[in-house]
Amino acid sequence: MGLDPRAKLYLLLLANLMLFFHVGLVTQIVMVVLFLTPLAAAGRLRMAARFAVLYAALTALGMLDPDAMGVPQLHVVAALAVGVSMMLPCFMTGAYAFTTTSASAFVCAMRRMRVPETVVIPCVVIIRFFPTILPDYRRIREAMALRGIASGAFAWIRHPAQSLEYVVVPLLMNATTVAQDLSVAALTKGLGRKGAHTSRTAIRMRAADWVMMSAATAPLVLDIAGVI
Amino acid sequence: MTAPNAPVTTPTTPSSEAESPDTRAKRGLATADLITIGVFSALYFVMVCIATLVSTLFTGGFGSIFLPAIAALISGPVFMLLDARLRKFGGITVMGLVIGLFLFVSGHFALSFVASIVFPLAADLIARAGAYRNKVLLLVSYVVFSYGLTGPILPLWFMKDAYVASLEARGKDAAYIDGVFANINMGTFVLAMVAILVCALIGGWFGQRLMRKHFVKAGIA
Repeated sequence: MGLDPRAKLYLLLLANLMLFFHVGLVTQIVMVVLFLTPLAAAGRLRMAARFAVLYAALTALGMLDPDAMGVPQLHVVAALAVGVSMMLPCFMTGAYAFTTTSASAFVCAMRRMRVPETVVIPCVVIIRFFPTILPDYRRIREAMALRGIASGAFAWIRHPAQSLEYVVVPLLMNATTVAQDLSVAALTKGLGRKGAHTSRTAIRMRAADWVMMSAATAPLVLDIAGVI
Repeated sequence: MTAPNAPVTTPTTPSSEAESPDTRAKRGLATADLITIGVFSALYFVMVCIATLVSTLFTGGFGSIFLPAIAALISGPVFMLLDARLRKFGGITVMGLVIGLFLFVSGHFALSFVASIVFPLAADLIARAGAYRNKVLLLVSYVVFSYGLTGPILPLWFMKDAYVASLEARGKDAAYIDGVFANINMGTFVLAMVAILVCALIGGWFGQRLMRKHFVKAGIA
């Protein structure tokens, strides 16, 4: 049972606002717990646990007082820890949005939010085309190995420009072909039609979405207002 | 390509893209154009992912300082071929915009969005001034476009503020704090920016060379 894609985007936005407003430590911890709850509820227990451990470790590192310990060099470590732990909520919500949303739900949500087709269509294409690139790359490398061109793991280091050329050119050639094929297929299916498109995936804001959104907003607002 | 799909103009969504008054083309971006943009954006996104990986490998914890520079170095061919295939206003802008969207959803800082709209738009205007054929203007356009990726590295400067704030909260004085950060930040910032410029020039030149060498001959560009 997952949240609505729009609720996920809202959580993502909140995580970004947290970074922007430099919220206090208590608020941060509360928000992190709130962000990890839906992730765990969506069955990504291990991922949620990993994030929690990482966040706890970084927070602990950030609390270090390098001067009291007499090792000023540790400032670098502490600074990094504080920085990364501040960005971690963004990654948490991002991972949640990315791993638990199906492509069609994402597209449906974008259409509902009145995102122009100029943006929606390229997004759809990226989601569909992206997974095919890695197999293509493997085929290209196999073909190169067959001809004895830049094969082996170190080829990238020894001939970077040449390797790049030999890989990118076939990928781009392929991309132009795919673009044509996809255009024909998509136009046949009516992607180019004007007006509203229907979707087989239904998305709806449920009570859980509203509860989650308001629960996550509250600590942030309280922090900015200076209550916490 | 461009099938005879006569009535298929851009979905008439108002606002947002103010680029509907297209110059030479009779109509704006048709669905086929948008699909082309999508395919090339996917390739560009792959390049960005590779750049993230390499940058993280080299610079360790500081992660993505050199992300835009490395991305600029390797994605010249993608950019140049997109321009050659499309030759319409809006392609570069939409590509930057969509990449910005994907970076946002995958957990990057929302402000990166601003960079990924402003710079590609400027790049698009520059390329349009040369009708997407002028080599020099395309190269300049590519350099400007490359700055659109500076968004993901902006948090580094926010991180600094955060650490300073946490030091202040622990009662360190300002002079001391300045000392900690004296030469780390301005230096790396300038270095990262110059690196983008140099890498974008090399990458763009490389892309144009590949275009001449392979795609023009094959009749694709």
